[in-house]
Amino acid sequence: MASGLGGERKVSASLSRSVRGTTPRLQDLAATPESPRTPLLRSTSSLFGSPGGSFRTEDEYVVLELGSRFVRGGFPGESAPRCTLPFGPDEQRRVGDYRQWDPEHGQTRRKRKRGQDWGQEYELYRMDLTDLDLGLVEDRFERTMREAYSKYFLLDQKPRRILLALPPRMPHALMSTMLEVLFSSFQAPSITLLSSPVLSTVGAGLRSALVVDIGWAETTVTGVCEYREVQEGRTIRAGKMLSEEMARLLNTALEDELDVGAPKPEVSFEEADEVITRVGWCKSKPKSNRNTLYFPARTSPILEEFEDAVESPEPSITIPFPKNDPPIDLVIPFAQLAKPAETALFAPDTALNEFDDNELPLHHLIYRVLLALPMDVRRFCMSRIVITGGVSNMPGLKARILAELDALVQQRGWDPVRSYGSASARHEALLRQKRESEELRREEAGDKVSESLDSDNSPAPLSAGLQETEIDQIDIKLSHLAIRNGPPPTCSVGGTIRGVDSLGAWAGASLVAQLRIKGIVEIEREKFLQYGLQGASREKEISVVPQRQSMGPGVGRGAGERASWTLGVWA
Amino acid sequence: MAQPYPYTYYSCDCYDAKTTAGAAKRASAQLQAEDEDERTFDPRNPRSNFSLYPLEHLLYCEDCQQIRCPRCVIEEVLNWFCPSCLFEVPSSLVKSDGNRCTRNCYNCPICTSPMTVSSLDDPTNPSESGGPWILACPYCHWSTAETGIEFEKHTGITQQLSKVANGGKPIPTPKEREKERERRKELENRKSRDILSGSEDSPTQDQRRGDASPNLDDIYLNLAAFYKTQLVAQAPSNLFSPHDINFSSPSSYSRIMNLYSSTTSKKQRQKKAAPMREAALELEGLMIHDPSSDAAAIERIKKEGWGSTLSPAQKRAQPNPNIRFDTELRPVASLLMTKRGKRCRSCRHILSKPESKITSTRYKIKLLALQHIPRLSLRALTPTPPPGAPAATPFDYNALRSGIPAHFILHVSNPIFDPIRVTLATSSTTPGKVASRVTILCPQFEVGANTDVWDDALSSSLTPVKRASMLGPDGMPQIEAGKIWDRGRNWTSVVIEVVPGFLKDPLKKEDEELGEDEDVLEIPVFVRLEFESDVSAEDRGLGDSLGKKGERERREEAFWTVIGVGKIAPM
Ligand SMILES: [Zn+2]
Ligand SMILES: [Zn+2]
Ligand SMILES: [Zn+2]
Ligand SMILES: [Zn+2]
Repeated sequence: MASGLGGERKVSASLSRSVRGTTPRLQDLAATPESPRTPLLRSTSSLFGSPGGSFRTEDEYVVLELGSRFVRGGFPGESAPRCTLPFGPDEQRRVGDYRQWDPEHGQTRRKRKRGQDWGQEYELYRMDLTDLDLGLVEDRFERTMREAYSKYFLLDQKPRRILLALPPRMPHALMSTMLEVLFSSFQAPSITLLSSPVLSTVGAGLRSALVVDIGWAETTVTGVCEYREVQEGRTIRAGKMLSEEMARLLNTALEDELDVGAPKPEVSFEEADEVITRVGWCKSKPKSNRNTLYFPARTSPILEEFEDAVESPEPSITIPFPKNDPPIDLVIPFAQLAKPAETALFAPDTALNEFDDNELPLHHLIYRVLLALPMDVRRFCMSRIVITGGVSNMPGLKARILAELDALVQQRGWDPVRSYGSASARHEALLRQKRESEELRREEAGDKVSESLDSDNSPAPLSAGLQETEIDQIDIKLSHLAIRNGPPPTCSVGGTIRGVDSLGAWAGASLVAQLRIKGIVEIEREKFLQYGLQGASREKEISVVPQRQSMGPGVGRGAGERASWTLGVWA
Repeated sequence: MAQPYPYTYYSCDCYDAKTTAGAAKRASAQLQAEDEDERTFDPRNPRSNFSLYPLEHLLYCEDCQQIRCPRCVIEEVLNWFCPSCLFEVPSSLVKSDGNRCTRNCYNCPICTSPMTVSSLDDPTNPSESGGPWILACPYCHWSTAETGIEFEKHTGITQQLSKVANGGKPIPTPKEREKERERRKELENRKSRDILSGSEDSPTQDQRRGDASPNLDDIYLNLAAFYKTQLVAQAPSNLFSPHDINFSSPSSYSRIMNLYSSTTSKKQRQKKAAPMREAALELEGLMIHDPSSDAAAIERIKKEGWGSTLSPAQKRAQPNPNIRFDTELRPVASLLMTKRGKRCRSCRHILSKPESKITSTRYKIKLLALQHIPRLSLRALTPTPPPGAPAATPFDYNALRSGIPAHFILHVSNPIFDPIRVTLATSSTTPGKVASRVTILCPQFEVGANTDVWDDALSSSLTPVKRASMLGPDGMPQIEAGKIWDRGRNWTSVVIEVVPGFLKDPLKKEDEELGEDEDVLEIPVFVRLEFESDVSAEDRGLGDSLGKKGERERREEAFWTVIGVGKIAPM
């Protein structure tokens, strides 16, 4: 079935590499699709002896999160990073080039470089290495990290380990470049790698979640189950596309506003970016097909009122464009500022079959990833949707994604064979859902545990329908039992679409470091400088699976005694 | 403005001459394949921006006999101080203070200017203390009054500010927060018991005592506390019931099942060890997505417009970078600065060490490159006006004329105490889109030793070349290929002929617009030095250190420079 899904890829499967045109991967460490990975978070009991106690010197960490447009850096136990440093053209100037401080320069609009993509100067790296100068990535990353260390961290001479949050499956050549800089220029004794979706899960207080990371070049949707990535899908509907849409909108609006003779306006990346972050927004639900959508009662009344109110005069926003020639204050209808998000992320005007697999609208991608999850994991993940990434801060966006997804689920249910919305579809979907959850309970009662996490199996044969009254009674009974004996009932919420906010990957990493939880991917400086990432493959027999079997349960190896290291999700 | 023309940049080649066999290097192996000397340095390559420095910025390692740039030194923090009040901060406090001044030093969150403490005292009705006080920006006039913050005293601003939120509400201390969490936990437990005992109408107004949603810090602390209790609860069961606690177990399903709560068959297992669970309450850090705050933000943007929102840079400078509106701004405490010593990365010798006194700008040690590397400087060769005639207009480096040969004098001065033999090399046309022709008329020459000025006066063997007699009919001096232009005690000058290229290719009909700096004429010049110098004591070895005085060794040094001639004027 995976092949029929196109856009999604199994994290553990070896698919994506060849697509991205990277160097050969470390085959031997990659778990097969059928065998799950060891969770990235490992608890080794000895480490938790003194909660809240101070770190030993060798345990002092610097916590970094490396995105394609920003690096965030700070210390464990803090809720926010000490610095968030952007990658942009002003960070690429020569020493002694002070033009960015020149007021005249500040008033000139920056032109895109010939042959460069929209916003390319503002990204440190891209996952596609074909046109990427790794040397330049190294130069830029090194300079930015030097700023972080010398301006914000201000550390003494003690060596600091690094906890590095990275997107899963970053190409090895790129990873090597970053690690090389951190090991050689910043003298880190060791670097622990943790994947951003897992950390976002930690930052939400969850163990399993569906993490929707709306980043710069792409949006990744990752099913995380017990701190492991189990399913993933990607789409290019993300920050870059959004910013291009916004630029298009602003250019058109400016053109209308300017006199006939004025030069054709071409807003810069910075201008579009600032408009998005300041006044960009997203309609919490689509107006066009609202009638056909089902909204649960819990939707905030404020939203309803907001959507339905017809305002007059039409509200508008005045945006200054001092860098335009001539400078202008653009008055733009407020509603227009919601359009770029609409077009870029949800593409409501395009039929589903017209999308390539890598450009699915967000809600369709999320739906597909959920659909590909095993039934019980799906039930759990759909109620733990963590929307994160730079774009996710846009007001209204999270609610919109959840509403769209909810509508899609109501319409189609979880039948892998697509059923397009008909009058009875919703009803059927509800029924199906109910049956599924019953099925799940039945399975639990029999203490049957499905073995394959990654299986794409469609739901098992349905049991005879149970009556609703019975269900309710069971629910109540369950919750009572749970309170007495186990986790609170909220821990078992599942089967409905629910969003959970996360503090994000950086804060997740900060928590992990503060709690002194060891990661599975720990790279020692000497080993790396000697062997590079190839070092991981040299002791492949100590890959996670045999290790798990040979060690007694619960006596996981501490990091100190680990003789070799693996690349985990990045293998 | 980059630098005033003409200028000279020096390249440090450490980035591709790394001693460590790095992984990044392996990745870009094709770069190494090229012969280093054959490769022409391209100042247009974006990477060159990271290796070029003004001579004043470079250090020199006498042991390695190499230039040292900021990338190939290791820094050591000697002390920490506030650049605003020049107060030295002991290292033990630096990190806990967030690397920021804890006295009264703040920067404006709008324009980053240093803020001053001002009195709001009414002169007609003065208060006893002279207060209340505010932090105000003398440049843009923003003040804490705009966010509803006033201070009782004019000292200890940091302490006062840490206790008051925007709008004047008090911020609870960490201890108070801890207490509050305990109180609410107790409340939550009571509620659970109420459910069990069947009294469904238990009080529900247990929610937040305050109004606002919890801030970043609160959520983080809640999460951290939650994870800590989970890990503590985990530790003993680890010993007694390893089965359930093996986090790396592949059958993570069973653990999810545990979370689902269970029927009697599971109950027993649960008694053995409660599995680690997810956060279930807000006070454990679980934040169910609530669309109302987004909806409120949208309303507010609509109502208050662009001016109430923050620029990306303003947000990044804030302690909490996730804020959106100007009323959420906090004054930004001054970042501490450091005095740092610098060591050579490859041999660890000290290259520079400032005096430790904060107010001193002097150095105990500073091995500058300009004491070891000849300085190259360029200036235009302008006709000398005949006596009595009005002075010629100064040469305009910002308007070089395409296609018209221009002559420049390259002045090379020698800082070392031995005469040097200099060989200059450059390609005949400059790299980049606008190709200019360049000829160094005398690429090989000697430069005298930097002997004492008195020595110079005594030995006038190197007589300056007399130019005046060789003036041509146009007042321009005669230039002879293969001959130096002029020389002095420790300097020699030669002439460079430059034919600036055309900004627009006359053969092409449609031209792309030139990018930033593409109209700048820069000449990459490879400089090779040969000289004989005293063998240093270390090289001779200890045994020889007494004898063989005055032994000489032949030395060679080579590096790239980039000479910025000026800007080519559009036709
Ligand atoms: Zn260097
Ligand atoms: Zn200060
Ligand atoms: Zn100001
Ligand atoms: Zn050295």
